[in-house]
Amino acid sequence: MRWGMVIDLKRCIGCYGCQLACKAEHGTPPGVYYARVLKRENGEYPTVRQFVLPVLCNHCEDPPCVAACPTGASFKWEDDGIVDIDHDLCVGCRSCMMACPYTNRYFNEQPPHYFAQGATPFEEARTTRHQQNVVMKCNFCRERVRAGKQPACVANCPTIARYFGDLDDPLSEISVLIKERGGFTLNPEAGTGPSVYYLPP
Amino acid sequence: MPDISARYEQLITDLRQDFRPQREWGEGRGLFLVIGHFLVGVAAGAWLFGLLFDYLPGLIAGFLLAGAGGIAHLGFLGRPERFWKMARHVKTAWVARGFVGLALFLAGAALYLPPLLFAAWPWGAGSTIEGLGWLMAAAGMVILIVYMGFVYSASKGIPFWNSPLHPLLYMAYALRGGAAALLVAMAALGVPNQEMAERLITIWIAVTALVVVLFALEMQGALSGGNAAARRSARQMLAGRFAGYFYGGTLLLGLLLPMALVSGRLVPLSIAVLAAVGLLSALGDFFMKYTSIRAGIYVPLSLRPARIK
Repeated sequence: MRWGMVIDLKRCIGCYGCQLACKAEHGTPPGVYYARVLKRENGEYPTVRQFVLPVLCNHCEDPPCVAACPTGASFKWEDDGIVDIDHDLCVGCRSCMMACPYTNRYFNEQPPHYFAQGATPFEEARTTRHQQNVVMKCNFCRERVRAGKQPACVANCPTIARYFGDLDDPLSEISVLIKERGGFTLNPEAGTGPSVYYLPP
Repeated sequence: MPDISARYEQLITDLRQDFRPQREWGEGRGLFLVIGHFLVGVAAGAWLFGLLFDYLPGLIAGFLLAGAGGIAHLGFLGRPERFWKMARHVKTAWVARGFVGLALFLAGAALYLPPLLFAAWPWGAGSTIEGLGWLMAAAGMVILIVYMGFVYSASKGIPFWNSPLHPLLYMAYALRGGAAALLVAMAALGVPNQEMAERLITIWIAVTALVVVLFALEMQGALSGGNAAARRSARQMLAGRFAGYFYGGTLLLGLLLPMALVSGRLVPLSIAVLAAVGLLSALGDFFMKYTSIRAGIYVPLSLRPARIK
């Protein structure tokens, strides 16, 4: 089994719902975004077009971050292909950040709250549990997935632009979508075999 | 708080850019990594030339510089108290290999040097322990010279570093740094013989020429290659925000001035001039490493127009 995600760029409206759902689910500190949305504008008035590109860890088949990690803190779960971090092992050398061709890893060195007055009750409960001075990234909401739920960004997408499933199963919804609609990955030249696919807008 | 707030705002600005600069290595505490890599490279080169010339001060300099480099590395780590865990993944990670190399080098040098310095040391010169120390330090030295460039070239996220020439360039830097360290040591402690000083200068000139050629080839590759991030990095070094460091630090201080001094055209060759050549050369190497690290730009993450119909 290999968990994967498909993001339909035709459906995505760039509402940041995935980013916020992820923030709420994981209580990530300031400066850490497991899921984020990139927006670009192409062209000149009056023929301007905005492109929206939601990004997250690609959970690569051959993850360079895992190879680059000196402690083994970055690792790949054998049973489902999810790339994860054991924060108790991370020394904060950030070589995984340099190795990732998708720039979806973050070094958590900010204080665990957004406001100068200190942590809010929500932040006290959710954000402060994260270790500081270690690298953090998306883990496809592995706890939720193992509990039979979908990742928070998928469950909360209002336009149903995100699909989650087994890439190894040719009959799964995501495998069919990739095949029928020409799903593609980001930066394929990196040769890492991403598990996140995009459907053309 | 203002500093942290500024860093947060900087990150948000960076995330919005097509070409996001890497700031983790080289900025803030990241500067310790540049210093650490620089010192460790010089240390390994100094040990090599110390052995080749049978020059004890060179070996001592290598040991001390490696120790300082290790401390600088610890200063960079987010969790320095866990440093020993870095030996766990030697099979694939160049950082882990470098850590093992540095540990081997320091331990080996600590076994090898004392009997050469103190007559009444528990194990004497020529003993098995001293021989083991020599072997460990030599193995560590080779690893330190080799590993550093691979740390960068294995970074798939930074196309500018992801070049096959990068490891060779870092090896050449280690040799140039080692020669420079010995020149400074000789100037400070006295030249054992004139022939050694002349041979060292010749080596320094040859290695400098090698560095220049490798650097030119790497820049040419980055500027003419197909990767836009690598091109932008090279431009940042040559004509962007790091150009001042490059032209002033690397080119003028690190290359032209010492070359002019060695040629004997500015002032006659003397011990003081040798020391100046060594210091300037090391300074130039530091700026070179600093600028090439700071100029690193992540692979742009955006939709390809060809994909959009």
